[in-house]
Amino acid sequence: MTATACCDESKTLTRRGVLARGLAAGAAGALAGLVGEGLSTRLAFAAGAYTGDTLVVLSLRGGFDGLSAIAPIGDADYYRARPSIAVPKSQVIGGNAMFGLHPALAPLLPMWKNGSLAAVHAVGQPNPTRSHFAAMEEMERAAAGTSLRSGWLDRMLGVTGATGPLAGVSLGTAMPARLFAGAATDVSMATVDGFTLAGESATRPMAAALRAMYGSAPGPLSGPALAADAALTATVAPRAAYTPANGAVYPKTPLGTALRDVARLIKSRSGLVAAAVDSGDWDMHEGLGTAVKGQRMYDNLAQTAAALAAFAADLGPSGMAHVTVVTVSEFGRRVAENASKGVDHGHGNAMLLMGGGVRGGTVYSAWPGLAPGALVDGDLAATTDYRAVIGEILQKRCGFGSLADVFPGVVPASFGLATAR
Amino acid sequence: MQTTPQPTRRAVLGGAAAVAVAAAGALALDAALAVPAAAAPAAATDLVSADPIAHLLRRATFGPTPAALAEATRLGVAGWLDRQLDPARIADGELDALLTRLPLAGASIATVRAKLPKHSYEAFGQLGRAAVARAIWSNRQLFETTAMFWANHLHVAAPSSGVWDSRADYDASVIRAFTFGRFADMLKASARHPSMLTYLDNRSSTRKQPNENYARELMELHTVGMIYSEADVKAAARLLTGLSIDANGEYAYSAAKHATGAVSILGFQHANATAEGGEAAALAFLDHLAHHPATAERIATKLCLRFVADEAPASLVTRLARVYLDHGTAIAPVLRALFTSAEFAASVGRKVRTPFEDLAATVRALGLGPETSGVAGLDALYNSLVNAGNAPFRWAPPNGFPDVASAWASPSAFLMRCNSHLNLAAGWYPKQLTRPTNMLKALVPVLPPTYGGLVDALAVRLVGTELPAAHTAAVLSVAGKVPTSPLTSTDKAVAGSLPYLIALVLDSPSFQLR
Repeated sequence: MTATACCDESKTLTRRGVLARGLAAGAAGALAGLVGEGLSTRLAFAAGAYTGDTLVVLSLRGGFDGLSAIAPIGDADYYRARPSIAVPKSQVIGGNAMFGLHPALAPLLPMWKNGSLAAVHAVGQPNPTRSHFAAMEEMERAAAGTSLRSGWLDRMLGVTGATGPLAGVSLGTAMPARLFAGAATDVSMATVDGFTLAGESATRPMAAALRAMYGSAPGPLSGPALAADAALTATVAPRAAYTPANGAVYPKTPLGTALRDVARLIKSRSGLVAAAVDSGDWDMHEGLGTAVKGQRMYDNLAQTAAALAAFAADLGPSGMAHVTVVTVSEFGRRVAENASKGVDHGHGNAMLLMGGGVRGGTVYSAWPGLAPGALVDGDLAATTDYRAVIGEILQKRCGFGSLADVFPGVVPASFGLATAR
Repeated sequence: MQTTPQPTRRAVLGGAAAVAVAAAGALALDAALAVPAAAAPAAATDLVSADPIAHLLRRATFGPTPAALAEATRLGVAGWLDRQLDPARIADGELDALLTRLPLAGASIATVRAKLPKHSYEAFGQLGRAAVARAIWSNRQLFETTAMFWANHLHVAAPSSGVWDSRADYDASVIRAFTFGRFADMLKASARHPSMLTYLDNRSSTRKQPNENYARELMELHTVGMIYSEADVKAAARLLTGLSIDANGEYAYSAAKHATGAVSILGFQHANATAEGGEAAALAFLDHLAHHPATAERIATKLCLRFVADEAPASLVTRLARVYLDHGTAIAPVLRALFTSAEFAASVGRKVRTPFEDLAATVRALGLGPETSGVAGLDALYNSLVNAGNAPFRWAPPNGFPDVASAWASPSAFLMRCNSHLNLAAGWYPKQLTRPTNMLKALVPVLPPTYGGLVDALAVRLVGTELPAAHTAAVLSVAGKVPTSPLTSTDKAVAGSLPYLIALVLDSPSFQLR
């Protein structure tokens, strides 16, 4: 499949089809992964330290409207379904005859043009729920049809064998990330600067006292305490005063601050393998708005784009050469707008990919179309499993052989959306 | 004192070990970091007092205080519950005086609109600070813990756009008005409140293009859980059209927006024949949902998660669901049954404090009082909770804060808790709270002859039990002392070390459990 393919074959890829193939492959793949290719991947990583890309997963919570962000301007049904909130063809920036970038993504246009930013459209997960909470759990577990209870980023860390205290970090919240739920080492931080222990000094070794008390405490208590202890030592370097490079200016938003901290961890060579960052407020049942400043979707997209653009500028081309950012969301929105000029929960979404190894400047999609007959319960049919997209990144950019231990049963996408390292 | 049958030690240890094994998979416990001590992991039951009164107060309040323990010991479990379930008879003058500094915390929509510019966050701020003040200083502790449970269950995030004028009123006229009442009444009040109708978008739902947001969360989050179908969502969204808001920001039923037509949703049937009758039909649906067995089980389960254990005991859930239905969705009988159950008695040490609970328990344990004027200290307490991701009402999505330890088990949250303990113990931050003139004398009136005895006394006072010997030694290590180090009334070192010793006692695994 190539960029913006609209081939006949793709039209037959309904969500049901994706799901069925995923399940069939899943049963065999989950078992094979334990003794076969997955094991060899792990052995390969064990031979040396992790040398793949740092993977930054940006979760757009609340149900991101991919049909606004990457508007299918070449599909007449888009305008029929959204008479008041569709992005007019005349306002999109970048893209091609079929898809246009929302004007609020302007800060990312340079990356689009230099080929380090791509989009994938008509993406979904093999799970028909429209519950935010069930969909988020499934997305973070990413192992439909299995009994796995860990998060997929945790399994990714497990395969790489990375055990440093800052191998997996979620930024912007003190809450643990479900993406990292599981055995591998991870830490969540509201901010790097705030990650300190008060009172600690050479004469008052508070951390040592805590270590002694928590060494034998029950697991639910000792886990966070001992991880905090290890991470405190590891964050000494990144906590040093920080000035973003290349004149990058991060917006003073939670996302801007969190991405700035991700950049700090990367640049201080802290051993960061995977970072998780959240950005919320995408649940726009009401007043999604038109594609102009001051409207909800516009402003949210503009802030997101500004933060991502600052991140890319801060790291610069040499830094971004070893970083891939992917956006995910638990589901998309209904194709048709509702009476509140918003959109209810739906499926079929767009993902953004940014990084030095991304083959960007294009929208990858097996586009099923928005004609009433092509929709699934009023939704854009998902023709690509989001895990397949990430799977291609894991293989091309992160050095994975098999995906079996991370995404059981999932075949990586064959879009060619990233260059091999 | 122990009137309930105690589980055998083996059963408790087995249970704790099972919990630990299960939890280890969900936590960032790197084997390489674990101290290779000979000691086996301590069981949670070794870390806290098993006294039933202490156990009750750790769960039913925001943290035991000497006064609360004395009162509960005098009244007994049943007597204390009776008294707490009748909050109007409990004097709360000191708190009431403090709340006069937050006049918008429970203000009506009209009042907020009259006093504040449009979209002001001031009422949110006062409401959040009032919740912190109530948790810490109210004498009606069971009412406050239960009110927080309901606010989290029928959650409307604050701040959140659109409810600037109505969120304070929602707290007063929906959550607090029915905290000890019938859930069916609270649910119907929430469905007719501008805050809920705005937060979940029902106000703009119309018969031609229904907005499904409220209908889905009403079933998924507020009542039956995920047993609904997509057809149920569509039908419920149609049935709920018309529950809306007028130009004054008050609730109003709009017949013009209502979609008529027979509905069948989760066993509820209604002809829904007229637009005028739409509100009555919607209310009948809400009553049906409130009395649904799946709702009874969900509320019983959530109450168990809140007050008993992260793994809700199935036997207790079944019993509480029955009590809930037998009493027409009234909550007080359910709470009484919960706190007097064998499952509750057997759950010592099986809940971990959230950041909010930890902060409230710390201020209560230290005996800190409200500031004498202004709210700067409350601001500071509230803002520390914002940083910890646990400020009252501030969870963004409508499912409410998670209520299990694994959801809070983060290194970052652990450090925040430790830092807050030291700040409060030392009086560094916030400075405005009133403190005992002599913290050492207030916590340990009679100095023991050794430093070990001092930490024992501090732990009994702050945690309710002595710490394990190894933990006592660890606490003393920051003062360069050992448990047998002698202590005299003229020892000058103790004053300098005291904040650190107190903080470390509060940092101990024992204080994290509730």
